[in-house]
Amino acid sequence: MNPRLKKILLLLLAGVLLAGVFQVEESMNLDRDALGLTRVQPLENAPPVLAFTTVALGGFRGLISNILWIRATDLQDNDKYFEMAQLADWITKLEPHFVQVWLVQAWNMAYNISVKFKDFPDRWRWVERGLDLLRDDGLRYNPNETLIYRELAWFFQHKIGANMDDANMYYKQQWANEMAQVFDKKTPDLEPLIHPRTPDEERRARLLREKYKMDPEFMKQVDERYGPLEWRLPESHAIYWAALGLKEAELNPSKIKPDDLITLRRVIYQSMQMSFQRGRLVANPFLKSFEFGPNLDIIPKVSAAYEQAAQEDAKNRDHIEKAHKNFLKDAVYFLYVHNRIADAAKWYQYLGTKYPNNTLLDYQTNSFPRNLTLNEYAVSRVEEDVGETMSRDRIKAIIEGLLTDALTSLCLGDNERAAGYKLLAQQVHNTYSSKTKARGEALAISPLDDIQREVVNRLLDPQNGMVPEMRAVLRTKLNLGPEPPAAISSTNAVPESASSK
Amino acid sequence: MQRLFAIITLTWKAAFRFKLFLVVAVLLLASVVGLPLLIKDDGTARGFTQILLTYTLSTVTALLGLSTLWLACGTLARDIEECQMQVVAVKPIARWQIWLGKWLGIVSLNAALLLLSGVSIYALLQWRASRLPAQEQQVLRNEVLVARGSAKPATYDKEIDAATEQALQDRLKKTRIDQADFNLVRQQIREQIKARYQLVPPNFTKRWVIDLGLAKNYLRDQPLYLRVKFNSADRSTSGTFDGLFAAGVPQKTALWRSEVMSLAPDTFHEFAIDPNLFDENGQLTVEFYNGNNTALLFPLDEGMEVLYREGGFGLNFLRGLGIIFCWMALLAALGLAAASFMSFPVAAFCAVGILSLVFASGTMANAVSEGTIANYDAEKGTKGHSPADIVVIPTFRAVLKLIALARDFSPIDSLSTGRSVTWEQLGLAFAQIVLLLSGVLAAFGIFVFTRRELATAQGTQ
Repeated sequence: MNPRLKKILLLLLAGVLLAGVFQVEESMNLDRDALGLTRVQPLENAPPVLAFTTVALGGFRGLISNILWIRATDLQDNDKYFEMAQLADWITKLEPHFVQVWLVQAWNMAYNISVKFKDFPDRWRWVERGLDLLRDDGLRYNPNETLIYRELAWFFQHKIGANMDDANMYYKQQWANEMAQVFDKKTPDLEPLIHPRTPDEERRARLLREKYKMDPEFMKQVDERYGPLEWRLPESHAIYWAALGLKEAELNPSKIKPDDLITLRRVIYQSMQMSFQRGRLVANPFLKSFEFGPNLDIIPKVSAAYEQAAQEDAKNRDHIEKAHKNFLKDAVYFLYVHNRIADAAKWYQYLGTKYPNNTLLDYQTNSFPRNLTLNEYAVSRVEEDVGETMSRDRIKAIIEGLLTDALTSLCLGDNERAAGYKLLAQQVHNTYSSKTKARGEALAISPLDDIQREVVNRLLDPQNGMVPEMRAVLRTKLNLGPEPPAAISSTNAVPESASSK
Repeated sequence: MQRLFAIITLTWKAAFRFKLFLVVAVLLLASVVGLPLLIKDDGTARGFTQILLTYTLSTVTALLGLSTLWLACGTLARDIEECQMQVVAVKPIARWQIWLGKWLGIVSLNAALLLLSGVSIYALLQWRASRLPAQEQQVLRNEVLVARGSAKPATYDKEIDAATEQALQDRLKKTRIDQADFNLVRQQIREQIKARYQLVPPNFTKRWVIDLGLAKNYLRDQPLYLRVKFNSADRSTSGTFDGLFAAGVPQKTALWRSEVMSLAPDTFHEFAIDPNLFDENGQLTVEFYNGNNTALLFPLDEGMEVLYREGGFGLNFLRGLGIIFCWMALLAALGLAAASFMSFPVAAFCAVGILSLVFASGTMANAVSEGTIANYDAEKGTKGHSPADIVVIPTFRAVLKLIALARDFSPIDSLSTGRSVTWEQLGLAFAQIVLLLSGVLAAFGIFVFTRRELATAQGTQ
């Protein structure tokens, strides 16, 4: 054959083969991915230096990573932490696809290193380092890894949200402060962040997207599906990241193990339960702090989440149903305390229908829903909280506590809660009075109005009561008039109140 | 002297001719300037300064170390291979003067480069510190950019040993102890007695009296720092325990009491206490109240330490550089000794091999502590046995002792944690590293080089 013709034919053949490879390469890559034949996947979203380093170092990456890991362990054993952020950064960047490396390094910073510091700001810095590592880098290079979403959600749910760490309230405060910058120190509203109109809204939307890597539109979807949520609290963020993990899992079903999905759903319903219990921020302007209140509006969604989880997780169905029952008991009680009697009655009925053969009170074998009215259950629940007692002093202390809560809620503008506590105090008083009627004066308790007057006087005491601003609010709400000026003692005489004691 | 100086000058000229001085100087300056831009710190000015000090000094040490080895091997071996040494050797100069001149040339070159890097690092640190808010500057000057000395309470070794012997004799009177178990029993008794000095039961208070010695004379109105560490057999839910410390003696000194602190076990905690809490004899009394429901144990050797300002950072930094300089002198001697009888590639390979051996001394230390080079089953706590152990383990032990002469100094660590690098440490480093180790290598190198037949060297030109 003519050599020139041969070369042309070979070139043509090469071209045809290249075109053929181009055609089948994509489907072959998909097959390799699906069959788990690919051990080294291309790095997504990596900066050029990192992409180059990971390719250039080849198999030595693991070796270098190990050396760095040994150094990190040695330093940690010697309580030297100033290099840890750098070492964690290098170790994870050398093995960017090794999910466990991200998880262990982030956990180490957020859990192990943070508690080594005695000052809470130092601890918070390391918790944030752990969050940053997962959120800013781990998810950047592994956007489909459900385990990273699960871990991130767990940090919010457990490390910041739970009360295991002595500094947990500091963490919550710091997180609320950070979110206050996003939401302009107001009750979270997502609409201006989705459609910013002013430069300030644009700045805050950018802050949310770029620093906290959160999408306001997806936040809105989460809020609608699982909320309403208080976005200044960690539980809401746990739900967000777990929900995002579920969404990513739906997009890549072949890579997901069923157990991973279950853990993500577990984070969601557990965090929703936490949001129900204390998912509302109640600012206390008098003490310049915040308190938590229950988020009663999400009760139907929390209940639905439990039921869905029980349906999907056959292995743990018993545990989930038990948790669901406990949640319903709390929901009824909380609704009652907040004077939402109709809702409380509705959920009490649901509890009775759903779990008719489960007792409601510990150590009372006959406390089935059919045997207790809503009022009896609520009062018994208070007694159960403080220990069942028929001591007059103990009951009086309980009633005083409930009335103090009612009056404090009144000062903070939470009228529903105030009314609920007052109602519960009334119920406890009535129950005690009816049970001790036969003993007459021996166990008689003062009328509720007298006890309330006593509590009010105590709270309005300038020496030991509430702060002046709160006293003024309480006086206004109770129509008691302005506080009389403090008497100025002109002599060294012992005050009358003291001498009469 | 003139001959030595001539060789030193030739070495410097060679370093400039090879552009080595320029390249290393640029690399050192680039690392000092570039590292702060690349490293990720823990978010505090203190942490940033610590990591900056550690990484810049480590980089400088590594760069200088490698270039010193390369130059030391090259300057002698290549001179011989390129037949320049043969020309020098016929001049009226002794071989030992050539060898020593080259060593001094490399050492002085290192001194210049180290000084250049040191001044850059120092200036960088001071510049960055001066830009911090006053409060952070104060923290930095008190905790990192400072030379802090330390004082510890008595360790009661004599009392513990005496009580151990007494208890052991009492035990021997009651029961018979096998010879094989004797040391173990003694050790157990000692630990039990030691625990009495270390343990703080729940709701009890432990007191330490720490003698500040002569430091009391210059510590008036100066802040002191307590560095404490405790262990616990129990784990708390939060992972921490409450700690309440007090210092001073009522009606004798000023008093200080901490807030309740949330402290993790097995961790060093450092915190400031008020000045002037020690008495006229320089004794500081510290108390710890254990309000937890579990006993806490403060180890005698590291449970309680007082840190105080002993001097400024500048001089401390200089002493730290002094120790690094001693290491460079040793590497120069190692390179020259290897090049005295080997060709450049072999000498360089050998020198780097020895350096690697030093860095891998942890493996040898493990083998020595386990008593074998055979596999150790950590789960069973048993070890295998290798016939080679009889030779290898004592050899490892000797090598480790030799390495320790040079490695038992940690100037970078001390500088980054604000601890004093004392004149005594510097003197000891000079004696051990320069006089002893480098001296032995120099003696070997000079001996070999003097006896070497230069004419038989395989020239490359």
